[in-house]
Amino acid sequence: MFKPRAALVAAAAVLLLAACGSGQSASSAPGASDSGGGLSPVKVSVIPIVDVAPIYLGEQQGFFAAEGLKLELVTAQGGAAIVPAVVSGQVDFGFSNFTSLIIATSKGLPIKVVAPGAASTGAQGKDFGAVVVKADSPIRTAADLAGKRVAVNTLNNINDTTVRASIRAAGGDAKNVAFTELAFPDMLAALEKGNVDAVQVVEPFLATAKKNGDRVVASNYVDTAPDLAIAGYFTSRQTATGKPDLVKRFTAAMQKSLEYAAGNPDAVRKALLSYTKIDAALTGSLTLPSYPARVDRASLETLSKLAVQDGLITSAPDLSGLVP
Amino acid sequence: MTAATLRRRSPLSSRPPSWLLDLTGLAGLVAAVELAPRAGLVDERYLPPFSAMAAALAEQAGTAEFWQSLLETLRGWAIGLALAMAAGVALGLLIGGIPLLRAALSSTIEFLRPIPSVALIPLAVLLFGTDMRSTLLLVVHAAFWQVLVQVLYGVRDVDPVARETARSYRFRPFTQVRTVTWPTALPYVLTGFRLGAAVALILEITGELIIGSPGLGRQIAVAQSSGAVASMYALVIVVGLIGVAVNVAARATERRVLRWHPSIRRDLAA
Repeated sequence: MFKPRAALVAAAAVLLLAACGSGQSASSAPGASDSGGGLSPVKVSVIPIVDVAPIYLGEQQGFFAAEGLKLELVTAQGGAAIVPAVVSGQVDFGFSNFTSLIIATSKGLPIKVVAPGAASTGAQGKDFGAVVVKADSPIRTAADLAGKRVAVNTLNNINDTTVRASIRAAGGDAKNVAFTELAFPDMLAALEKGNVDAVQVVEPFLATAKKNGDRVVASNYVDTAPDLAIAGYFTSRQTATGKPDLVKRFTAAMQKSLEYAAGNPDAVRKALLSYTKIDAALTGSLTLPSYPARVDRASLETLSKLAVQDGLITSAPDLSGLVP
Repeated sequence: MTAATLRRRSPLSSRPPSWLLDLTGLAGLVAAVELAPRAGLVDERYLPPFSAMAAALAEQAGTAEFWQSLLETLRGWAIGLALAMAAGVALGLLIGGIPLLRAALSSTIEFLRPIPSVALIPLAVLLFGTDMRSTLLLVVHAAFWQVLVQVLYGVRDVDPVARETARSYRFRPFTQVRTVTWPTALPYVLTGFRLGAAVALILEITGELIIGSPGLGRQIAVAQSSGAVASMYALVIVVGLIGVAVNVAARATERRVLRWHPSIRRDLAA
């Protein structure tokens, strides 16, 4: 969510390709760390946001221990640190949005999605991410965003592509939008000061925006595809082929966690207090994402098409290697 | 002794003691942060008044997580600084003491020195993931150059006559370093320590903030992404206070270690 992050991603990708090229096959002995007995340790890198509540809940509920896994959650500030950590084998699994993973795949990074993470609620105006304007703004629909300044947290990623999809769906000119990169925590102040005309925010900033009296003009994830899958858990190809048992057990525990989270929204809201600093008074008014049990292949194809259409990548990667 | 105390006091007698000035400055800052949001000069939602930050800090101080993070930050800083000091002093004495080596490496050092530590983040993450070692790499890299360059200056400052004298008396290399080079270089080493201490703290917090390795920086980032503005500023204040403490401690160390040195001794006529 910092400005240098895009540069960091690029630099990391270059370094990664170099590292992968120099042959890291020494540590890929199959089942090396899966020796029986106690719980096998599993390191997962996550971002401390609303989307990853199920994994914290699942740990509390003992779903990972039941699969013989000792979960160690490592927090990172964004995908820029997570993708290299997973590919270099520093952590076993990571959490990322699917557009980032599609871009990484198209650059040849060996990654594989192993479990779903978070998805759009599919309800217009009632999603966990939205495009927001000030109450007195002349912008009424996504089509009005043409020619305006819109803030997204990362340029050339899932949020600007889905906002463009929203504008197209509303019949507007998606090419003629000035996207600006701003960290989520800075967006509402920038909107207030008039530095930007609209901001694409997610929870908890969406709830804060509504509390401030700002107006939702588009649910960009809902406009992109029905129940758009947004993020998920992934691993490196090396781990996927070298430790299939670990992956199977992680996926199973993750599915139980997601199911539990989907059925117990109050538990999710409570779990947020354990790993974020979201104001307890605000957690009740947050719109939670939906926590799907399966990775929705159609959503990934949609995101891949958008990535090509908006010039993030030159050609759509083969998704069969990425999706389970 | 009495003459020294008298002389020390005389230039200060015209103005209040420095600690009082320091406190006045801080009080002014606190008052500005308290009043600006209350008067509506800045939006209270994005810069809460000081009292709100203090309340958030009090709340944080009641959690084990806060103290754990504080400890992690201080530990990362101390380990990083210690490594940078050890490597900087050892290599500085070695390179500075051998003219050929110094000539051969000076351009390399000048090339490597300006590389910002932050640029090494992708490399650090690749090597160590997002744990403490990644941040340690940044801290050591940043502080090391501060120390090394100071030590090189210090070694260059050694009186050539003293050096030649030691050589003609056939002092062993270690004795030469101990009796001739080290006393001259020590003030520079301590300047390197003071600069390195501050830079190490900055990089420790930056690493935690951007990489997400454990410590106060990560707590700041979590507060930021949670929209907890008062908590975030509360932690920023803590980091600022650590910075002040580090500087005070470094200066005190400098004064104590260099008690004998003309730059510190005030009983010498200026």
